Amino acid sequence: MKKSLTIFAAIAAATLSLAACSGAGAGSENKGSKAELTFWHGYTEADGKVLNKIVDDFNASQNEVSIKVQINPWSVIDDTLLPALSSGKGPDIVAMPAERLPVYADKGAFVELDDFYRDPTSNLDKLAPAAVEMETVNGHKYGVPSGFVPLAMFYNKTLFAQAGITTPPATWDEWIATAKKLTVDADNDGIPEQFGLGLPDHATVANGVWPSLFYGNGGDIVKDGKAVVDSPENARTLKTWVDAVRNDKISPTGLDGIAGDKLFSSGKAAMYLGGPWMSSIAQESKIDFGIAAVPAGPKAQAASAIGISMAVTQQKDDSKAAAARKFFSYFMQKEQATAWSLGSGWPPLRTDIPAGAVASNPVVEALTKQAEFGRPLLPGVVNSTDVLTAVDKLTQRAVAGENIKDLLSETQASVQKVLDTK
Amino acid sequence: MSTTINKKNLQSPRYRAPAAIGGRRNPAIGQRRKNFQALGFLVPALLILGAFTAWPMISALRLSFTDASGFGKEEWVGFENYARIFTDPVILNAVANTALYALLFTPTAVALALVLALLLNDPRLPFRGFFRTALFLPFIISLAVAAIAWTYLIDPQVGLLNYWLSSAGIRLGNVLQDPILAMPAVAFVAVWKSFGFYMVIFLAGLQEIPGSLYEAARVDGAGAWTRFRHVTMPMLSNTTAFVLIFALIAALQAFDQIYVMTGGGPYGHTETVVMQIYSAGFRKLDVGFASALSYVLLAATLLLSVIQFVFFGKREREGE
Repeated sequence: MKKSLTIFAAIAAATLSLAACSGAGAGSENKGSKAELTFWHGYTEADGKVLNKIVDDFNASQNEVSIKVQINPWSVIDDTLLPALSSGKGPDIVAMPAERLPVYADKGAFVELDDFYRDPTSNLDKLAPAAVEMETVNGHKYGVPSGFVPLAMFYNKTLFAQAGITTPPATWDEWIATAKKLTVDADNDGIPEQFGLGLPDHATVANGVWPSLFYGNGGDIVKDGKAVVDSPENARTLKTWVDAVRNDKISPTGLDGIAGDKLFSSGKAAMYLGGPWMSSIAQESKIDFGIAAVPAGPKAQAASAIGISMAVTQQKDDSKAAAARKFFSYFMQKEQATAWSLGSGWPPLRTDIPAGAVASNPVVEALTKQAEFGRPLLPGVVNSTDVLTAVDKLTQRAVAGENIKDLLSETQASVQKVLDTK
Repeated sequence: MSTTINKKNLQSPRYRAPAAIGGRRNPAIGQRRKNFQALGFLVPALLILGAFTAWPMISALRLSFTDASGFGKEEWVGFENYARIFTDPVILNAVANTALYALLFTPTAVALALVLALLLNDPRLPFRGFFRTALFLPFIISLAVAAIAWTYLIDPQVGLLNYWLSSAGIRLGNVLQDPILAMPAVAFVAVWKSFGFYMVIFLAGLQEIPGSLYEAARVDGAGAWTRFRHVTMPMLSNTTAFVLIFALIAALQAFDQIYVMTGGGPYGHTETVVMQIYSAGFRKLDVGFASALSYVLLAATLLLSVIQFVFFGKREREGE
C-alpha cells in the first residue's frame, strides 16, 4: 500500500502541473525627462535592419524620446505579448500581423488613436484607406500600418518559356487554361511531376488565398459584422477551383502555405500566390520569376492584403503614448516611408509615393502597381482566429471532395456564431 | 583494573539509564528536530512548487470564474465558462479527439514498452546495454524537436521515409493532411518518443521479481506463458498501474507534436483539449475560458487516475 501511495502522490504531482497559466505583477516604470520606449517587431531579415536604422535616425533627430527595439519573429511576438502584458512588462509599441490587432484592441490592450488620425501633423492623412480600415475596431482606430501589400502572383519564367507561354494570365479563364498547360504528368501515374499552380487549401499565405478568390467572383466572408460566406458567388468560386484542382490536377491537394512556398521554390509549381518574401525565396532557389497581379475574377480584380500593424499598449502614464505618436509621425514622413518601402520590399504605405519613386527595387515597383487591388483581411473582426479556422475547414474539405453546398451553409452558421459570441 | 571494569560495567547501564528515560521523551524532540531538518531541505523545492505550480493553480481557479483576458479589467461570470465547455461543439470535438488519441497512444506505448522490457530483461540477449540505451534515447529529445524531425521524414515531397517506402512500392501519401491517418501519425510520434521511459520503468519492475519465483514455477512445470501469466504479470501489477496512469496523463495532455505537425488539422481532426486551451488563451485572449477548460481537464485526469488506481488496488488485494 505504501508503494501505491507513492504512486498516487506522483500522479497528483503530474496532474498538478496541468493548470498553470497565469501571472500578475507590476512593471517598473522608467522615470526621467526623456521618454524611453520599447518597440517589439518581427522584421528579422534585411527589412529589420532598415527599420532599426529608421528608429536610430529618429532617436538621433530629437532628444525627447528614445526607442529601444526588440526583435522577435512574428509568431513569438504573438505568444509572448499576452504574458508580457499580464505581468506589466509589455512593450510600449508592438508590431503584429494586422488580423491579430482586433482581439487585443477589443480587450483594451491598446491606446485608441482616433485623435492622432485627425491630427494634421501625424502624416497619416495620405495612408491608403484600405490599410487604415484594417486598424479600425468597433469604429475606432487602434493602430498604424507598417505594411500593407496585396497577395501577388509569382510565376516561373523558365517553365512558362518551356511551354511557350509569354504573358502571365490576366483573367480566371486564362489562369486555369495556363495552369492546365503547365501541369505535366510525364509518367501518366495520375500524379503530375509539375503543377500549373500551387493552390494551398488551408493555412494559406497570410490566410489570404481563398479570400482573394472569393473577392474575384464578388463574394466575401464577413460584411458589416455579418457572415456572408454562404452565397451563390462563393459556391461558384469553390466549384471552379475545386474542379480545377481535383479533375485537372493543376495543384496538389492538402497543400498549406509553407508546403506551397517549397513547391514553387523547388520549381515544381509554375504559378503561386505569395507575399513580397516570395521574391527572396525564389531568388535563393535560383528561380527565374516574374510578378503579376492576381488574375481578375469574373466580378472583380482584388487580392487579400497582408498587413502589419503597429499599436501602442495601454500604460499608466500618457507620456509614452505621446512619445509613440511622435515616432509614428516621423515614420510616416515621405522620406522615411520611401526608405522603409525600399528596405522592406513592401509597397509604400502613402498613396502619394508613386511606383516610379521606388523603381530602384523592381519587386517593390511591381507590387506598388498592384497596391490598389488590396483588401484588408477581416478588418475589425475580433475573433478572426475562429473565422479563419472555419474558412480553412471549408476550403480543405471542399478540395477533399465534400459537398460544397452543405459545407457553405455549415461554415456560414459557424462564422455567424463566432461573430455573435462576444 | 577490575574496579574500572566493574565501574564501567555498572556505570554503563547507569550512564545509559537517564538516556533511556530521556529516550522515551527524546525521540519526540529528535523527531521534531528531524522534521525541521527535513523541512529545511524541502523549503527550496516547496518554494518553487508554490510559486510556479500552486499559486498559478489557485490563480487559474479564480480566473476560471471570470472573463479575464490576462490584462486589464475582469468581471466575475460565475459558472458561465464551465457551461460553455459542455455546449461548445468545437470543444466537444476536441474532447472526442483527445479520447481517440488516448486510445491510440496509451495501450500502444504501454504494450510496446512491456514487450521490449521483457526482451531486454533476458540475460541471453547480446548487447543488452546498447539496446536499452538506444531505445531510451528518444525520450531525452524534446517532443517538439522529434515532431519536426518526423514531419520531415514523412513529408510527401521531400520525406526520406516516403522515398524509401516508394522504392518498395508503398505510397504513404500526405499522412498529416489525411483526416483518418493524421491522428495515428501524431500518436505514433508520441509513442516513439515515450515508450523508452515506460520500458525502463518496466525493466526496474522486472528486476525486482525474485528469480526464485521463476525457479519454483519451472519446477512445477510451468511453461514460458504460464510463468509470464502467473508470476511476471501479478508481480508487475504495481509497475503496470504506474505506467498506465502516467501514459494516460501524458495522452490527455497531448499538445507539442500536434501543434508542430498538424496545428490541429486537417480540419480539426487532431484538435485536442490542450490545443483548445492554448488557442483560447493565446489566440483569443480568453484566459478565463482557458482556465476553466484546464480545470475540467484536470478533474477528468484525476478522476480517470483514481479509477485506475482503485481498479489496480482492488486487483492487488484480490491477488493477495
